[in-house]
Amino acid sequence: MSGLETVKIIVDAEKEGSNMLNEAQARASEIRKQVDALIKIEREDRLSVATKEAASIVQRAESEGKSEAILYQEESKQNIKKVLQRASANRAAAVKALFDMIMG
Amino acid sequence: MSETAKFTDDILTVAREKARQIVEQAENERQRLVDDAKATIAREANDILRNAQAEAEGIKRREVSEARHQVKLLEQSEKDKILTAVLDEVKARVRETARDESKYLAYIARLGADAIRQLGMERVTVHLNAEDLKRIDVSNLTHEIDKHAPSLAKVEISKEPILASGGIVVSSQDGKVRIVNTFEQRFEALEPKLLVQAGQLLFSQK
Repeated sequence: MSGLETVKIIVDAEKEGSNMLNEAQARASEIRKQVDALIKIEREDRLSVATKEAASIVQRAESEGKSEAILYQEESKQNIKKVLQRASANRAAAVKALFDMIMG
Repeated sequence: MSETAKFTDDILTVAREKARQIVEQAENERQRLVDDAKATIAREANDILRNAQAEAEGIKRREVSEARHQVKLLEQSEKDKILTAVLDEVKARVRETARDESKYLAYIARLGADAIRQLGMERVTVHLNAEDLKRIDVSNLTHEIDKHAPSLAKVEISKEPILASGGIVVSSQDGKVRIVNTFEQRFEALEPKLLVQAGQLLFSQK
């Protein structure tokens, strides 16, 4: 093998090595570019699920709150009814007591 | 292997290894960024859910609190109706009593005597409303007053009627000092006590 042929082989090998590095750099750039898109998709998916769940929690609370309020009002109305019935029963005694207070 | 072949092989091996490291470093970096981002996104998602829970508790509290408020208003309104009705009935009964002359005479005579004691004067003037001035015998009234407050003062009945549904006003002769014992004044003066007493009698749990 002549000296010229030897130099050519070495230059070719260096070119091939340089190509390998360039390809690797290009691949690395591609990988870095994918990160932003990957994170964006992850964020949208995860936050979309969380937002839907949050809306469901609030909606459920509104419904539960209304039910509790209705239950409370129904129970309270029954209690008020009892209080008013008792007041009606005590009305004559109250009128007499107040009359006596005024007439002294 | 020739020296040249060994040399070129070394060049390619080094280049291959460097290329592998470049890609590996990029992949590691990607993984780290994704992991960091996932942690941040998880925190954001948790914040959304925590805020929703807090909002949900607030909503439930507000619903129940609003219901409690409505019930309180309803209860108070119903109680007020009964209290007002009872007070109106009492007032009507008091005015009714004024029609029974014997009871009424004794009643205003007692009020008059109390007023005379409070005034502590030798001469007093008694004032009645127009209806009482017409129907009550003045000598009977002075006689009744004298029974309750014997010889405390000389009583004169004013011919000028007072504006009242019943009761009596006793004043000094010059009218500067007055003890007012009309029905209206008694209702007004006793109203706080009447309301407390009525509340206890009507709504007490005992």
